[in-house]
Amino acid sequence: MKLQITNYELRIIKPVFNLCLSVFLCGIFSFVQAQNDGSQQNQTGKAGTFAIVNARIVTVSGGVIENGTLVIRNGKIEAVGATISVPSGAEQIDAKGLNVYPGMIDAGTNLGLAEVGQGAPATIDVAETGDMNANAKAILGINPHSSHVNVTRVNGITTVLSMPQGGVISGQSAIINLNGSTQNEMAVVPLFGLVINFPRITTAAGGFNPFGPQQPIEFSEALKRRDQRLEDLKKLFRDAENYARVQDAYAKDKNLPVPQTDLKTAALAPYARGEKPIIFTAERERDIRGVARFAADMKIKAIIMGGQEAWKAADELKKNNIAVIYTNIYSLPVRDDDAYDYLFEAPAKLQKTGVKFCISTGDGGAEVRDLPYHAGLAGAYGLPKEEALKSVTLYAAQILGIADKVGSIEVGKIANIVVTDGDILEPRTNVKYLFINGRMLPLTSRHTELYDSFKDRK
Amino acid sequence: MKKVTVFLLLISINLISLKLVSAQSKAEVLIRNATVLTAAKGTLENADILIKDGKIARIGKNLKASSNARTIDATGKFVTPGIIDCHSHTMMDAVNEFSYSVTSMTRIRDVLNPTDIAIYRALAGGVTAANLLHGSANAIGGQNSTVKFKYGKPIEDFVIPDAPPGIKFALGENPKRTNFNPTPGATPRYPRTRMGVMEVIRDAFVRAREYKKSWDDFRAKKTTVQPRRDLELEPLVEVLEGKRLVHAHGYRSDEHLNLMLLADEFGFKVATLQHALEAYKIAPEIAKRGTGASIFADSWSYKLEAYDSIPYNGYLLWKAGVVVSINSDSNERMRRLNVDAAKMMKYGGVPEEEALKMITLNAAKQLGIDRRTGSIEVGKDADIVIWNAHPFSVYSHAEMTMIEGEVYFDRQQDISKRAELARERETLEKMDINRPPGSGGTPPAIPKEKRQSHLDDADSDKDGGNRR
Amino acid sequence: MKNFILRFYIAIFASFSLGLSINAQTRTETFAITNARIVTVSGAAIEKGAVVVRNGLIEAVGANAKIPADARTIDGTGLTIYPGFIDANTSLGLAAAPAAPQRPVGQVGGGQLAAQTSQPQSNSNYPDGLQPEEYAAGKLKAGEAQFETNRNAGFTTVLTVSRDGVFNGQSAVINLAGDTVSQMIIRAPFAEHFSFTTLRNGQYPTSLLGTFSALRQMLLDAQRLQTLRQVYDKNPRGIKRPETDKSLDALLPILNREMPIVFNANTEIEIVRALDLAREFNLNAIISGGQEAWKVAGRLKAQNVPVLLSLNFPKRTAAASPEADAESLEVLRLRAEVPKTAAKLAQAGVKFAFQSGGMTSINDFLTNANKAVENGLSKDAAIRAMTLSAAEILGVGNRLGTIETGKIANLTVSRGDVFSKDKTITHVFVDGKLFEQKEKPKTTTPATGGTQPAATATVGGTYSITINIPGQPLEGTLSLTQQGEILSGSLQTQLGTTPIKDGKVTAEGFNFTTTVELGGSTFNLDVSGRVTGNQISGTMTTPQGAVAFSGTKTP
Repeated sequence: MKLQITNYELRIIKPVFNLCLSVFLCGIFSFVQAQNDGSQQNQTGKAGTFAIVNARIVTVSGGVIENGTLVIRNGKIEAVGATISVPSGAEQIDAKGLNVYPGMIDAGTNLGLAEVGQGAPATIDVAETGDMNANAKAILGINPHSSHVNVTRVNGITTVLSMPQGGVISGQSAIINLNGSTQNEMAVVPLFGLVINFPRITTAAGGFNPFGPQQPIEFSEALKRRDQRLEDLKKLFRDAENYARVQDAYAKDKNLPVPQTDLKTAALAPYARGEKPIIFTAERERDIRGVARFAADMKIKAIIMGGQEAWKAADELKKNNIAVIYTNIYSLPVRDDDAYDYLFEAPAKLQKTGVKFCISTGDGGAEVRDLPYHAGLAGAYGLPKEEALKSVTLYAAQILGIADKVGSIEVGKIANIVVTDGDILEPRTNVKYLFINGRMLPLTSRHTELYDSFKDRK
Repeated sequence: MKKVTVFLLLISINLISLKLVSAQSKAEVLIRNATVLTAAKGTLENADILIKDGKIARIGKNLKASSNARTIDATGKFVTPGIIDCHSHTMMDAVNEFSYSVTSMTRIRDVLNPTDIAIYRALAGGVTAANLLHGSANAIGGQNSTVKFKYGKPIEDFVIPDAPPGIKFALGENPKRTNFNPTPGATPRYPRTRMGVMEVIRDAFVRAREYKKSWDDFRAKKTTVQPRRDLELEPLVEVLEGKRLVHAHGYRSDEHLNLMLLADEFGFKVATLQHALEAYKIAPEIAKRGTGASIFADSWSYKLEAYDSIPYNGYLLWKAGVVVSINSDSNERMRRLNVDAAKMMKYGGVPEEEALKMITLNAAKQLGIDRRTGSIEVGKDADIVIWNAHPFSVYSHAEMTMIEGEVYFDRQQDISKRAELARERETLEKMDINRPPGSGGTPPAIPKEKRQSHLDDADSDKDGGNRR
Repeated sequence: MKNFILRFYIAIFASFSLGLSINAQTRTETFAITNARIVTVSGAAIEKGAVVVRNGLIEAVGANAKIPADARTIDGTGLTIYPGFIDANTSLGLAAAPAAPQRPVGQVGGGQLAAQTSQPQSNSNYPDGLQPEEYAAGKLKAGEAQFETNRNAGFTTVLTVSRDGVFNGQSAVINLAGDTVSQMIIRAPFAEHFSFTTLRNGQYPTSLLGTFSALRQMLLDAQRLQTLRQVYDKNPRGIKRPETDKSLDALLPILNREMPIVFNANTEIEIVRALDLAREFNLNAIISGGQEAWKVAGRLKAQNVPVLLSLNFPKRTAAASPEADAESLEVLRLRAEVPKTAAKLAQAGVKFAFQSGGMTSINDFLTNANKAVENGLSKDAAIRAMTLSAAEILGVGNRLGTIETGKIANLTVSRGDVFSKDKTITHVFVDGKLFEQKEKPKTTTPATGGTQPAATATVGGTYSITINIPGQPLEGTLSLTQQGEILSGSLQTQLGTTPIKDGKVTAEGFNFTTTVELGGSTFNLDVSGRVTGNQISGTMTTPQGAVAFSGTKTP
């Protein structure tokens, strides 16, 4: 697997304008290189050539193959179809009565950044201090050995977006596969979207301080602060564009004065230039429309995270090509007057409008394994079942820009494969086999280990 | 004196006649041709349920109802008993009395609020009854209230009259308060350790025992002056006498075991271990005492003492013979307990009916209301949910929820009422009294983004919220 | 020597009481209002008749009442005489309580603050806020000038009590005239008042849960104290002496049904809770507020519980903003329903009286009483709710509330029907003393003056101020946000921006505290001031002394 290096990264890697920055970026570059073939690097699980036969294969992208074979080799899907022959030397898995799915993708988690929510702050690496942290990189904070990794993947989730939160500009998210001994072994896209909490009317004092006193403030004051934050944000974006222009100019003409380096602004530049997507958290219609306008004004790529009322702003979202990562299946409707199913049926409404969307748990890590039930519940309230499945597989991959690698069962894609004894979105369904990067993984976790330790205690 | 008697007599006659009227007004209902998951006697295909006077009168095939009965065609639909949530703080205007480590004098009944919209949302998730508990900020918390969600009725109708009383205990991180910011300048409250928590409870029971003796002595005429009534100790005396159920919040197995040992010593039984996410480690000890476990299906890792929680907990406890229920402790999660129960089949392999019991009959047993509710059996209250699909399917939703034969949630009605509500809003907004002031005026409220829904109840106090 | 001092005191007292009696004499003029329409309330209205007032009492009333020769005659042609209006719950005449400290943030950590912010003002065994012995009549300010606004609006009598604490204390029925407290009081104490609220500083009760259990335990303890005393009084020997407890003692008349308990309760559930408590302890309860009382009319009637119904109808004050959420149906419905409450209570046979309920302008009282009439209440019932029914509920029906011979001469005289928009209150008699109204242009100005808590100044805004530190004036910006009596905002100077705390708006102005950091130390500032037009002025008191500040409102 080869990762795309963005133009911006290449541009700034070439000129060695600053030792510190370049060493740092080279670090990222080198681990990106090392990611070349996960099957050689990952130590967990069993590598090899596998043929899953007699299976009901739900390809997601190309319909269902009722009785087919799927071949995994070198970490990739080598072949899939009803009439595929099993290659010699392949480990054969009889999947009679079983279903084969692409691994599910949760596009909105903090997995690996937060282990124990309360009472162990030392295990929390979600929010950096301060409001502007464009340079904070989730990939450098994710604990590859978090117990959440195994617990999540044994329920069929193989890929997640893990993101920083807090402040206004929280930092850059990472897309990881849920297997690997190091961060770079896990990385699918080490530096994905920048997370920005879109300024909104709130009582929050500003900055991220969950322990600070939250003195209520007044509406007019909150409105003023919201507008101010929006202005501040725009200024940051313009500064970042300018910064990048200066760097570019210097790269072309070394006679120019050596520009100053600012890590935070440098990190923001590719996003401000619209080269990489920005994930904006926004829930209410006015804020979602605000994001759309902001994206249009600043000529950036935006994704909505949250999206309670995104369906109401479908026109502007479609016009600006903004997708929605919906994280509110397990949320209570905010207003007493909202219908009881207001947030259950939002995905169905989104789907009808034609806005690109996926469903995410929005969870810190421990409950990411519930992803299929989030999608399923949307299915209980109007979203067609096939769409529910797509909303946690192919659609998520498309929104995260990794549909060429994961999200469906197609030849050439990464072999993130889940074999189940039923509908993958149903809570009674069990995962029977699990492959990530083509490695067959044991279905064990902290939970099964504790289970085994105590199950026979009398 | 005579006048008073006559008056009382009149009142009671009035009450009786009122009761008769209301009983008669409960229409006969016939649910036809459903798949009935009884949570007691297996699953019945193409079965009818006849409801009379709020009770399940008959279950069978091709049942006949009187001509004025309401008939509900449930062909292709699934029927279960109403879900009972054994740990909830819904419809409470206050959750914690933070001040003391022992707040057994407080009563949830005092602060119940029947207008909480969360009740309706729970009904829409098939929940008909709940164990409303004091928060867990105190080693010994307040007295519980066991209710049915009769949304729209006066508060006294919610309370299940013959439910045995209960009380909340709490162990570990929450009563220690070490996860919470102390009030600046305040003296930290005792206890700050698990050692102290156990001592607070021991101390309370020592005092309760002495208190009980003082009354016993007085009643036996060994003393002449009537002892002071102590509302803190009275409920603990009831615990000692086996008249009040202890619902003990806790996570780590050691402290739940320590509480049970203390209970052994003082001669009472702990009714339920609440949360009990490590209970699988001491399943035999729990089973031996006949103590119940009321757990989250699969929550874990949200606090340090929940780090050893495993989703197989329910299965292991069930296998050891413990009566297990699955609770929500959350207005949000309460709406999808059916999916939580389904997970019990996945993690370990609890049989379907046993999994269903964990959100119905077992909770009823733990709350001492299983004689009247918790399963679909003749003679029990008609607390019934009709689902569009098997309730353990994630694609299912409740179509109709009834309590004692009366419909409290009906999805079709809910949907058709939405236009009506929009019209009402339009009319109301046009009224002078609802118009914003022409100029000036105070600022509007800041819009809310998310509604609070917590996993754990230690830091919850709705008094500070926006409720009126 | 001793003798001398004694004589000195006697002399002082003598002159003092002499002064009083002279004062009293000057007011006992005799009046006769003739040719007026008389709404007696006790019987049918007299379309044309006279009321004679002498010695503070009604001497005669009727179509053919004899006009005494010594009476000052007021021609009542075109006027209507009503019994003096009664406002059945206020805090008039009571000094505004110090601003309640904010509920401390992070209280969820548990633990109690030492009672540092509120100095114990009592030697009770119970904390501030749980002291039922608090006695409104004992805290009344003397002097009738403070009541001018309310008198001018037609009110002659009010019930008054503090609003603070779980127990608000014992209320008093007072006339809105008299130079001494003794002259004002008609009946005190009247009732114990109770709020479903909590204590602060982390003190039990911190929650509504604890409020109930604290009340219960206190009532039980009082009961027991009474029993113990009876036993002890019979034969004290061999029994430990029962303790004296003034807080528990104050609960005995409530338990013995000698004194009613007034529950402040507006929502249906609050009223139900009050009714449940009343039943549990067999208390003689009254509901104050009662916005949703119609929803529980049946129980109110069955338990014979009257309502002091607030005419402070909820109204929308929030400005429109596209950024704000729509108001909830519950709120919209409530505003539409509340004006119907009185009619529904009347229909259900629940006894009720009107009260101002902390309204911002006392002129809303009659306006909203009229709204109750527009929503189905008969005019007679509306008048009754501010006269006889109020008097009866307050236990003074035998001396107030109607125009009958021998009753206290409290009269409200208006030109035009009292519910019409163009009415004018022309004369108000309190204890036979005439307060004449200049006929003034009919604009509804907010009530000012007096000490009614709701009659607050308007101070909100942003002000550029100069703090006159001698030799070193300091410029700053004071942002004040007012919500009724509550003041929030910030003080910005070159020393930084600090939020204002404990902000309170009074009738005269405002006060708050804030802190300033200087040289690593934090100084507390007590600030008080007033706003006149767009001018602001006041003083800031520091431990080092007081400095003045002044400034203007920035547009």
